[in-house]
Amino acid sequence: MSGRRIDRREALRLAGGSWAAAAAAGSLVQLVPAAGEAYRPGQRVEGGPIEGIEASWWKRLDGNRVECGLCPRKCRVADRERGTCGARENRGGTYHSLVWGLACALHVDPVEKKPFFHVRPGSRALSYATAGCNVECKFCQNWEISQFRPEQVGSVWMPPDAMVMAARRAGAPLVAATYSEPVIFWEYVRDVSKAARKAGIGSLVVSNGSIQEKPLLEVLPLLEAYKVDLKSFRERFYREVVRGELRPVLDTLERIRKAGVWLEIVVLIVPTLNDSDAEIRDLARWVKASLGPDVPVHFSRFHPTYRLTNLPPTPVATLDRLWKLAKAEGLEFVYVGNVPGHPGESTDCPGCGARLIHRIGYRVLENRLKKGRCPDCGRVIPGVW
Amino acid sequence: MSGGRFSRRELAALLGLGLAAAGNGGAAAPLRGRVGVAPVKPGRLGAGEAGEAVARAVRAATGARTAEAGLRALFSPEDTVGIKLNCLAGRGMSPRPEVVLAFARLLARAGVRPERIVLFERSTRELRRAGFTDCAPFSCEGIDNRWDPEIRTSGQIGSLFARLVTRECTALVSFGVLKDHDLAGVSAGMKNWYGVIHNPNKYHDDNCDPFVADVFRCPVVRDRFRLTVLDAGTAQYDGGPAYRPSATWPLGLVAVSADPVAVEAWGWRVIDAERKRRGLPPLAAADRTPRWIATAARYGLGEGDPAKVREVRG
Ligand code: SF4
Repeated sequence: MSGRRIDRREALRLAGGSWAAAAAAGSLVQLVPAAGEAYRPGQRVEGGPIEGIEASWWKRLDGNRVECGLCPRKCRVADRERGTCGARENRGGTYHSLVWGLACALHVDPVEKKPFFHVRPGSRALSYATAGCNVECKFCQNWEISQFRPEQVGSVWMPPDAMVMAARRAGAPLVAATYSEPVIFWEYVRDVSKAARKAGIGSLVVSNGSIQEKPLLEVLPLLEAYKVDLKSFRERFYREVVRGELRPVLDTLERIRKAGVWLEIVVLIVPTLNDSDAEIRDLARWVKASLGPDVPVHFSRFHPTYRLTNLPPTPVATLDRLWKLAKAEGLEFVYVGNVPGHPGESTDCPGCGARLIHRIGYRVLENRLKKGRCPDCGRVIPGVW
Repeated sequence: MSGGRFSRRELAALLGLGLAAAGNGGAAAPLRGRVGVAPVKPGRLGAGEAGEAVARAVRAATGARTAEAGLRALFSPEDTVGIKLNCLAGRGMSPRPEVVLAFARLLARAGVRPERIVLFERSTRELRRAGFTDCAPFSCEGIDNRWDPEIRTSGQIGSLFARLVTRECTALVSFGVLKDHDLAGVSAGMKNWYGVIHNPNKYHDDNCDPFVADVFRCPVVRDRFRLTVLDAGTAQYDGGPAYRPSATWPLGLVAVSADPVAVEAWGWRVIDAERKRRGLPPLAAADRTPRWIATAARYGLGEGDPAKVREVRG
C-alpha cells in the first residue's frame, strides 16, 4: 500500500524525537501533552478503549440513537454501536469521533504522489491518515488501514499542533489528509488545516468525495486543494464494487468547484469494470460541462489487490486509449498515473502544446511555468503554483 | 464423524434426519426447525439451577434421552469447542456466567476435554465487564485483534476472521441472549457471529441483510457450527442492542437449537409477541424486519419459516 503503516521511529523523527529537546530548541509548538490530553504527541496508541471526542456533525434521535451528519450514508446508530466507517461511536446518545488525533499513517510524500499535478510541483506533503472508511472498494490499496477500526491498527497521537510542527521539521509546505478516507476523520482534518493555515502551511485533502454538504462547506475554506477519487461514472459500479453512491460524489465535485478550491480528479481504471469508451466519454463530457475543461483528470493504473485479485493490472494500451479519448472530448489536462515514463505524466500547454512540466514517476524533471503561465504562448495554466 | 469433526454433510444429515442417523443412540427426532426451551430464573442463579435448566433445554433441543447423549451426538472428544459469547451490552444483557459455565460443564461431561472448551468474546474487556472472571477449568479469552490474515469472502462480506475460530476451534457454539436490535431486528445466535469478523461495522445496511447470513455461511463458521444457546432468562423487546433495563422482561427461558436459523425465527416470534403485549408495533412495522432470516433459510442453513419452527419444552 502507498500509505505504509507508521512505525514508531518514523513517528518520533517526524514529531521531533524528544519532546524535551523540541521544547528546549524553542520549537514553534511545545510537544508536551496539553491540559486534558490523554497522550503525549508521538506516543504509540494501540488497542482500546479509545476516548475520542464528541463528533461535530450529528443529531440525536429517539431512544439514545443518533444520526451521523457527515457522509451520505447518514448512519443511524444505536447506543454502543458504530457507524459503517467504524470510526464513530454512539456513547449513551452522544456521537463520538474515535480517530481525532490518532494518525495510523504518517509519511512525507511528493505532492505528485497524491496525485496533485497542479499544486506546488515538486513540493513535499506531510501525509496523514486514521483508520476507517465510509465505503469498501474491492480494489482498495490501503485496506489494511481503511477497512479496520482504530483500535485494530497501531496509531500515533498527533494533535494538530504536533502535525504542523512535524511538517516544518520535514520541510514540507503542505499537509495532506489521505491514504484512508479523510471524511471519516473530518474534525481532525478541520483542526489540522486550521493549525496549518496559522503556520503558513497549505492543507490538502485526498478523498472519495462522499460527504454531506454542511461539513464540506465548513472545511473547504481551510483547504488549498482537493483531490477526489471518482471511482466510476456508473451507479452500478458504485453499488457493487464500492458499496457507495455516485450522485453524492458528483454533488461534491460541483461544490468544490463552486467554492473555488483547486480540484483534481483521479479515476482508477479497472479492467472490464469501468474501462469502456462509453463510460469514460460520459465522464469526460460531464466534467467538461459541469466543472469545466481545465479540471485535471488522472487515469490511474489498477493493480490487483484486496478483494479484486482475479483481474490483471490495467493494460497500458487501455490507459492510452482513454487518455486520448478524454482529450478528444475537450478536457485540457488529462494524465496517466502508475505508468512511469508515460507521456501522460507531464503537463502540456493546451494552447500551444509545449511541454510545461516534465515528470517521470513522482519526480519533476523540469518545470517551465512562469508565474503560472506557459512561457511560449503566455496562456494561463490553472493551479496553485 | 471422522477425525473428531463433523463434516458439513454429516451435520446436514443430523439436521435433516435426526440423531439416530448419527448412530449415537439418541432419539430419532429431526433437529431441523426444532428449538428446545426450558425454564430458568431471571437474575441471580445457583449453579444447580443453571445446570438443570441447560440440561433440560439441550434434551429438548436434541430429543436425546440425556443432555450428555444429545451433546455427544454433536461434539467429539477431540473437538476444541469455541463458545462465542455476546457480551456487548455488559452485565445486564449478556449470557450469565452461571448459565454459560453450566453448559461448558455439561459439554465436559459429554466427553469434551475441559481445556479444549474456550469461552470467547471480541475483547477480554467485554468478558470481564460481563462477569467472566473465573472460568476455570475452561479457557476464557478475548479475540483482542488476533485475526487470521486471510481475507475470506462469503456472499457480500469480505473479512478477516478470528484466528481462534479459523486455527484453533473445530466446533463452535453461539451463546447469546435474546434481544431487539436497532438494525438487525433480532440479536440472538446468528448476529453474534459478527463478533468473529474484524469489520462488523461494514455490514449493518439494509437491516443487515444478507450480511448476517453471509457471515454465518462462510465455511469457517458454517462447517464448525454445532449449537445455538440463548440465556433468555431476561430478554429485551426494544432499544437493543445496548442494555435498556426498562425494555426488558423476564422471559425465563434457556433456548437451545442445532438449527441456526430456526432459533432466530423463534426469537423473532417471541420478541414480536412481547411487543404486541406492550402495544408496540411488530419489528416489521418498526422498520427492522430481520430479513436475513429468510436469506439464511434460502441459503439452506436451516428452517426460516416461523410456522415450521417447533418449540419443544424440556
Ligand atoms: S461518516 Fe461514518 S458514521 Fe458517519 S455517516 Fe459516514 S459511514 Fe456513517
